Amino acid sequence: MSIDITMPKLSDTMEEGKILRWLKHPGDKVTHGEPLAEVETDKADMVMEAFDDGVMQEILLAEGESAPVGAPIARLAAPGEEIKPAAPPSPGALAELAPAAEQPESAPVQAAQPPRAASRPVAVRKRSLKEAEEPEASNGAAPPAEAAKPSHPEPGGDGPEPKAMPRPEPEREPAGATRDTAAMRPASVPPRTTAPAHEHGDQAKIKASPLARRAAEEAGVDLAQVQGTGPEGRITKRDIDNFLRQQQLFRQRRLVTPREGLPGTWEELSKMRRTIAQRMATSKREIPHFYVTMEIDMEEAVRLKKSLEATELFDEAITYNDIVIKACTLALGRYPRMNASFENDGIRIHPSINIGMAVAVEDGLIVPVIKECQQLTLPEIARAAHRLVAKAAQGGFTADELSGATFSISNMGMLGIEHFSAVIVPPQAAILAVSAIKERPVVRNGQVAVGTTMMLTVSCDHRIVDGVVAGRFLQEMKRFLENPASLLV
Amino acid sequence: MANNRYDLAVIGSGPGGYEAAIRASQLKMRTCVIERDRPGGVCLNWGCIPSKALLNSAETMEIIAAAGREHGIQTGDVTFDFARVIARSREAADKLSRGVRFLLRKNNIDLFEASAAFAAPDRLTLSRSDGKAPAVNTIEADRILIATGSRERLFPGMTIGDGMLTSREALVYDQLPESIAVIGAGAVGLEFAYFYHCFGAKVTIIELEKQVLPGCDAEIAEELRRSLLKRKIDLLLGHGYKSAARHGDRWTVTVDNNGQSRTVEAEMVLVAVGRVPNSDGLGLDKVGVELAPGGFIRIDDSFRASRSEIYAIGDVIRPPLLAHKASAEGIAAVEIMAGAREPGFDLLNIPACVYCQPEVATIGMTEAAARAAGIEVKIGKFPFRANGKAVAVNHVEGFVKLVAGKKYGEVIGCQIIGHGATDLISEVVLGKTLEATTLEFGRTVHPHPTLSETVMEAALAAEGEAINF
Repeated sequence: MSIDITMPKLSDTMEEGKILRWLKHPGDKVTHGEPLAEVETDKADMVMEAFDDGVMQEILLAEGESAPVGAPIARLAAPGEEIKPAAPPSPGALAELAPAAEQPESAPVQAAQPPRAASRPVAVRKRSLKEAEEPEASNGAAPPAEAAKPSHPEPGGDGPEPKAMPRPEPEREPAGATRDTAAMRPASVPPRTTAPAHEHGDQAKIKASPLARRAAEEAGVDLAQVQGTGPEGRITKRDIDNFLRQQQLFRQRRLVTPREGLPGTWEELSKMRRTIAQRMATSKREIPHFYVTMEIDMEEAVRLKKSLEATELFDEAITYNDIVIKACTLALGRYPRMNASFENDGIRIHPSINIGMAVAVEDGLIVPVIKECQQLTLPEIARAAHRLVAKAAQGGFTADELSGATFSISNMGMLGIEHFSAVIVPPQAAILAVSAIKERPVVRNGQVAVGTTMMLTVSCDHRIVDGVVAGRFLQEMKRFLENPASLLV
Repeated sequence: MANNRYDLAVIGSGPGGYEAAIRASQLKMRTCVIERDRPGGVCLNWGCIPSKALLNSAETMEIIAAAGREHGIQTGDVTFDFARVIARSREAADKLSRGVRFLLRKNNIDLFEASAAFAAPDRLTLSRSDGKAPAVNTIEADRILIATGSRERLFPGMTIGDGMLTSREALVYDQLPESIAVIGAGAVGLEFAYFYHCFGAKVTIIELEKQVLPGCDAEIAEELRRSLLKRKIDLLLGHGYKSAARHGDRWTVTVDNNGQSRTVEAEMVLVAVGRVPNSDGLGLDKVGVELAPGGFIRIDDSFRASRSEIYAIGDVIRPPLLAHKASAEGIAAVEIMAGAREPGFDLLNIPACVYCQPEVATIGMTEAAARAAGIEVKIGKFPFRANGKAVAVNHVEGFVKLVAGKKYGEVIGCQIIGHGATDLISEVVLGKTLEATTLEFGRTVHPHPTLSETVMEAALAAEGEAINF
């Protein structure tokens, strides 16, 4: 007996998903909890896991195509069951035949490519899947508009403009027209193992260590943008690590292709943009927002961060974002009403503090969640935050990592923002907007002096909290940030 | 009478103190140094330098002993004057101590030969143990740098004398014992064991840990252990010292191995079980300077003690207790004071050396430490016996072991055992400082034939590309 695998609901708001890449193929053994496929949802690229044991029998939804939640996308044979070739050649059988048929063409390809991308004859499998898909599409499970759409605008719609040559990330690519030219791909695969980061053009003139050059090359970092902290501004590995962390925190999921859009064009909303549009509009329509701002003296926090860096006490470099998350957790612990949601005409005060941090990605933003912050030390928060930020750059979130936030933080400090306010993510009670740490005039003992300060603005749902609570919450944050030794306890 | 107010007063003229003082003077600070013993501290007078002179004599003996067998050069009976061996070592120490005196004078640094104690955070009282009056009684300084170093550790109840000695006494003891028990198989213990062995003493090394050079890479320690056994030096590993008793003109040392005790008889006992910081006797408690466990002075990343005028560097603040670490810290501390450098100091880039034959030199983390810290590494090893120069000069013992980062091949650590290891390691240290990777080590053309080719080959080996092995 075979088991249907259906498109899972990977987020609260997900209605349909697109298969980016199958990680299991017909004939592969599958065990419960193993990753089956990478799926693009309205929120992010996520990994879909298997709920059953068995052997992958048939793939019903090809890479690059979408299906509504609940639609069958693959078929699993129960463990021990024979995979029987159906009368019209099933994908399983074809996939097994394919390697032999493709051999002469694909052999050199395999030698030159990274192993994970090389092993599957994509073009052949795709053809067989098209056949398998026909009956599914007409079984009525999918809303017709949704089901029909993917074949036309999709290939170019979500990625950058199509190119004549295949791009160097074959596994990420929607299975559009370029996919069929599998034999051409080696040309685009950089000769990784031997290419040193050595001298080409301006990069060679910048002072950087060999290790930093290699790491920068691999991460696609332009050395000219990195501030070196070694002797006479030499760029070290640590500088690259810090640069990447900052980049990931605040922009560009892909550094090379920030999505800007061409003047004079109309573009259809991507799934992520559609979700953002809906939820933010709902928020502003339904939630009576009010905003409270406070200036925080950050001198002590700056000193704490520096001394943590100098002593290298923790493996993980602590960022200001981590420090703010920790202080916020402590403040929420004292004002639990800020850690609440408006549900069914009532107020639910949450037992755990799960902080969502808004992270910008290529086409919008996602809000990965650090769970149970009240139990985490500062370095533990840092580790969790950096892991989530890294994932935002690489994809591969699990549904769990993107849901369950009880409070959110939006940090635009790295962009030098003076002060801003954020829109509440429903049904949360509040969101904290963090701006840049800057030198500003402050008054000390009646004299104007230069201080290092930061503006915090909290947006609150007036149905849940009133100004007094919001003000006290910010006072509490101020206390923790201005006496940051408390953050290490 | 000179003005007794200084920008910086340095207590101790060892390699940490005197180099810090010179750097301070270069940075336009009015500086003085206070020294209670001889200029140059333990390193020049009672450590690194005189012991290297002794080891050089020992190695000469070993070369002569092998001359007939290996080179066909017959020497006839070889005799030696042990007192002369010791005297030569003292001459080297004296020469360098005079050199330190000269360097301080050249840099306009006042040297006060006295003991110092804090009267206030910015004031020191000077006194002399010989009863003479010091040149001045008090010194005031905006900043005071403690560079008082360390001294030999003893077991509780142990007293020095009657053939029981530490390295300090051994350096001037001009009678060659017929047998010696060395307690401790760290660098000092191994060097003296090798020294006495080369002059014909029967040597037994007693070590509590299960390997020589505790903390060092296990493969290096094993290579060294085999080399010691080949030289017929007795090794009691995993044996803890219990007690020592004098019977007539000999010592009986009782040791314990998992509850089983045994004794070692020897004419002399050398205790080499580490060092303790010289943080006592300075009146630190009076001025509120806190100590960390083990008696080390607690400092921040600017080398500042718990009083902001008081700084400390070298053996008195933290391991590793090494002269070059003290010098580097001293210079760093002074540059941080002058605002010429950012706070912080990389303790993972301090090489450590052992000068017995074969030599051992290390930098950074061992393979085991790196793996324990969760760092993914690849290992490159290259034996001296596959190196042309090593074969030609007949020093085929040992190997280079490079611990490189798995992804990029950067130096995580390196351990070298073999002839000339202590000079070879510097290439790796520089590479580590500059964040070189196996690629740069492997592509740097090394002169042939030299022992340095072993480092290049080890880097290639880490990539599976060694040419000669």
